[in-house]
Amino acid sequence: MSITPLRPRAGANSPDGPPVRLVTPGAQDTAGLDDNALFRTVVMPHIDEAYRLARWLTTNGTDAEDVVQDASLRAFRAIRSYAGGNPRAWLLSIVRNTAYSWLRKNRPATIVSVDDLEAVELEHGKLDERHDETPESSLIAKVDAEQLRAAIAKLPAPFRETLVLRDIEGLDYREIAEATEVPIGTVMSRLARARRRLLETLRHDG
Amino acid sequence: MSRPRSDDNSVLLVHAYLDGELDPANALSVAQQMSQEPALAAEAERVKELQRLIHDRLPREAAPPGLRARIESSIGTTRQPRATPSWMHSWRALAASIAVAAVVASGSTWLVVGSQQKPVQVAELLVSDHIRSLMAPEPVDVVSSDRHTVKPWFNGRIPNSPRVVDLAKDDFPLVGGRVDVVGRTPVATLVYRRAKHLVSLTAVPADDAFAIGGPHSINGYNIVRWTENGVTYWAVSDVEAKELETFAQLFRTSRNEL
Repeated sequence: MSITPLRPRAGANSPDGPPVRLVTPGAQDTAGLDDNALFRTVVMPHIDEAYRLARWLTTNGTDAEDVVQDASLRAFRAIRSYAGGNPRAWLLSIVRNTAYSWLRKNRPATIVSVDDLEAVELEHGKLDERHDETPESSLIAKVDAEQLRAAIAKLPAPFRETLVLRDIEGLDYREIAEATEVPIGTVMSRLARARRRLLETLRHDG
Repeated sequence: MSRPRSDDNSVLLVHAYLDGELDPANALSVAQQMSQEPALAAEAERVKELQRLIHDRLPREAAPPGLRARIESSIGTTRQPRATPSWMHSWRALAASIAVAAVVASGSTWLVVGSQQKPVQVAELLVSDHIRSLMAPEPVDVVSSDRHTVKPWFNGRIPNSPRVVDLAKDDFPLVGGRVDVVGRTPVATLVYRRAKHLVSLTAVPADDAFAIGGPHSINGYNIVRWTENGVTYWAVSDVEAKELETFAQLFRTSRNEL
């Protein structure tokens, strides 16, 4: 199937196509498993990814551990509602929601609402503006791990999580759409914007 | 941002192309567009450079030791001593969840075919997977010329990990492996290189329906198929038919299994 690139929408709640849902008839046979076994099968294999996402969202290892532990508990309580979709995306969406609740409670100043983000996107301008054709290698090759980490941490959370899930964790667009609970079109637009913003920051640093 | 701008879409498609998210037809048209529009080609270069930088500078770290144990104790799952590894107990669920992941991972599987596949359908699926892999940034999900790396990579991704042999001395070095999907079954594909050509070798659980017939080439891609030990192997490549036969022969007679 082809991806139909969806237009990025300004409104967060615009009906942007059908909700992304993975339907794979008969693929998940979890009927015979008790909750613990199901948890071990669905959640435990993805703890590393969960930890890394939490760490990028909280920007702190200790907080990330708390978030993952809390998210795992939520996942365990909700394990019966796991409907046989993609287990990694399912867990990561719980981790993400847990991280945002945690941030709202502990660091309210860092939370950027989606409305603010849309303002940021507008301010940032259209995708097709500017950008010369200078090869990037000369400009960002000297960037070290710390600069790169700091530049990613500076991205607004919705951009950051999309970039992290794709370019660090290697999720595909469908999984990202499921994990971040937005349409694929939004994933595409956020990803392109995240990469451009990141490149821009790195050029100034580098 | 309400007025649609086709240029925005082109940019998003370049990103999707680099992420291996496009089907062959769209990938081809984006590749053509990039070759005609320097701005898009430059965008692609920048993104690739950024991805390389992220890959080189930010290795993925594991969760701290002890986190898993704390999680398990907090939900009260206790590990009982077992005679068999835990994955054996849940292999069905595991296989099923992997099937889901694999279905998500491979674009070609959005084309769902019935459980009764004829050889020609299987061949077409595998040729599509092969073409798609050539257009993706990487033709494989695990890159390694070492069969001791590639074979274990399949463990935990598909129910039966494939036979992986080293044919480097015969000028078919191993490139790596990926999971393809035939119908709804995730299957192992090994990728070997012959000069500048790639050979995709897919191991499909043998089925009587696959036993006879099937095309020897589709759209210029040659196909060689054989069955051994309950597994049907499909080799797909644009190397000459004769060379592909040689490859099949080498693979069949090679005994250096893990």
